[in-house]
Amino acid sequence: MCRILAYLGEPLLARHVLFDTDNSLVRQSYSPRMMNTFLNLAGFGMKAWDPTSLRPEEPFTYRATTLPTFDRNLRYMAAKIAPTCLLAHVRGVTYSGESVVAETNLHPFQFPGTRVTLMHNGHLRRFATMRYALVEHVDPALAQRIEGTTDSEWIYALILSQLADPYGVPETRELADATAAALRILRRVRADHGIDTSSPVNVCLSTGRSLVATRFSFDYGWYPPEDEMLETDLPFVSLWYAIGGEYAEQDGGWGMTAGDPPRSVLIASEPLTTDSTSWLEVPEYSMLTAELGPGGLEFETRDLDA
Amino acid sequence: MPDADVAAFLATVPLLEGRAEPDLADLARVMRPRTAAAGDVLWHQGEEAREVLFVVEGALTATLQVPGERTVEIGRAGPGQIVGEIGLLDGRGHTMRVQAAEPTTLLALGRLDFEAMLRGRNPAAFALKRRLAALFTTRLRTQLRLLAGTLGGDAAAAEAPALADLEQCRPPDSRYMRRMATFHDFDPLALWGFLTSGTYVRCPPGRTLVAEGTPSPAYFLTVNGAVERVLVRGDRRIRVGLAGPGKAFGYEGLIDGLPSPLAAVARERSVLLVLPREHFDELFHKEDAVARVFLEAIQRDLLASLRHTLRPAARLAASV
Repeated sequence: MCRILAYLGEPLLARHVLFDTDNSLVRQSYSPRMMNTFLNLAGFGMKAWDPTSLRPEEPFTYRATTLPTFDRNLRYMAAKIAPTCLLAHVRGVTYSGESVVAETNLHPFQFPGTRVTLMHNGHLRRFATMRYALVEHVDPALAQRIEGTTDSEWIYALILSQLADPYGVPETRELADATAAALRILRRVRADHGIDTSSPVNVCLSTGRSLVATRFSFDYGWYPPEDEMLETDLPFVSLWYAIGGEYAEQDGGWGMTAGDPPRSVLIASEPLTTDSTSWLEVPEYSMLTAELGPGGLEFETRDLDA
Repeated sequence: MPDADVAAFLATVPLLEGRAEPDLADLARVMRPRTAAAGDVLWHQGEEAREVLFVVEGALTATLQVPGERTVEIGRAGPGQIVGEIGLLDGRGHTMRVQAAEPTTLLALGRLDFEAMLRGRNPAAFALKRRLAALFTTRLRTQLRLLAGTLGGDAAAAEAPALADLEQCRPPDSRYMRRMATFHDFDPLALWGFLTSGTYVRCPPGRTLVAEGTPSPAYFLTVNGAVERVLVRGDRRIRVGLAGPGKAFGYEGLIDGLPSPLAAVARERSVLLVLPREHFDELFHKEDAVARVFLEAIQRDLLASLRHTLRPAARLAASV
């Protein structure tokens, strides 16, 4: 299991959300508060969009399999960049020799030439059984770009394949619809292969101007016998958000300031502070969309019934 | 406040009703009197809970802080009522900010002393657990009424299926049940007694198991799958919680004798442990090891429900 963090809004120093808060994303790699039987030690990845940078439509990318808390390069960099959109991920894998810790398996994923990125918190149980049945639903050119061994990269390719132009910048609505369509395909393929055990799919996608995030699970509450992920999966995989003016330190604590209309949103597997007063839980089986518009941040929640 | 006066006051507290005089005298000795001026904040939302407060005179308000620097008043406590026990029992911090609405006199009981009252296997400890369950049920109903009010209209008339209509199935592997966080701390024999006290049923997604406003037929515990606890008004609905593995539903009306405050609808295909009303009553009122497990499970579930019910309330308040 992993932990994710997504941000869209006013320029925000990356260090604040990666390191500074008392439950920052990097801290969640070794001390997640809402998943205390499982650590996220299999690497860190980040995409950050800064409109003042060279070629602003392309995100700044950093991925490393080292532990982020000891990664000085990440610390130096996080203290210098203030993106308006950020996707960051700490990866967790099962403690077994079968897990592959490699740079190619690090999120967020973005195939060369595409403008959509994805990160995932969850896992498709028995993925090896269904992997090649997904091929018929994935654009062949995209399938060829899959480098790693994760279910997440296939989910990414599957969602891209549902877009009219996988290499363009989709409207937020189209990206949300493509995500919902991909979940429906996954449900069908799972059913075709007799897969009926719990498989959380909390994904977060971005184009740099918009975010789409799901809190979803297939067959929640069903587990194979003696499953090593059982105790981690028993609660529905968490997802939270904070929305308002800007994420700032005030009165000694970090929180989202009031903003009407809102200008910034943070989405994360768990609140970035132990004081969760300024955070709201994303309802189970739902999707959030956020988009930077001329009048501020447009934000919606919709039910997912994949 | 002399100990004798404290003991006399404690005798009037509904939560402690029926407790023997020597017990109350003991309790009075460890209570700490406190006063609060109007507006004083006794604790903030999320702060670690260290004590429960009994209101002797005056009134307290419980306020939910939500994003956007907004607040929503969720409840009030007057003389004879207590506050602070949720965070104390589940160890997850105070659910709301508590503030004196007027000059207020209080008695504070520390964590260890409160836990000691619940820990024993004596009749007083069982009675306290049952009263706490009733108190939490009342609070849950208050929170649900506030939520339902935001939807407007009345609950649609609906009927849940009779228990006999549900497809019976075999009990689950007890090793699986033991791995659920709900049952981690339970003695294996007592847990086995609890798990064998009911029947097991399967139900498909979309099936209504409990209808709002009608008597609940049973206590249900989700073994596999998930059941939504929802308030429905016409085409509008609020999901108040999701009862996944190890979580129970349908029991509020069995505790207080009132109609169910919300509906329960299977979200996933599910396997459920079902304790019909008469089995529930028997376990709820017994005072043995199995009943202790059962009361503990209900308490944990109610505490979780109270917290979960605040989440849609916070979302709604933040979106105003």
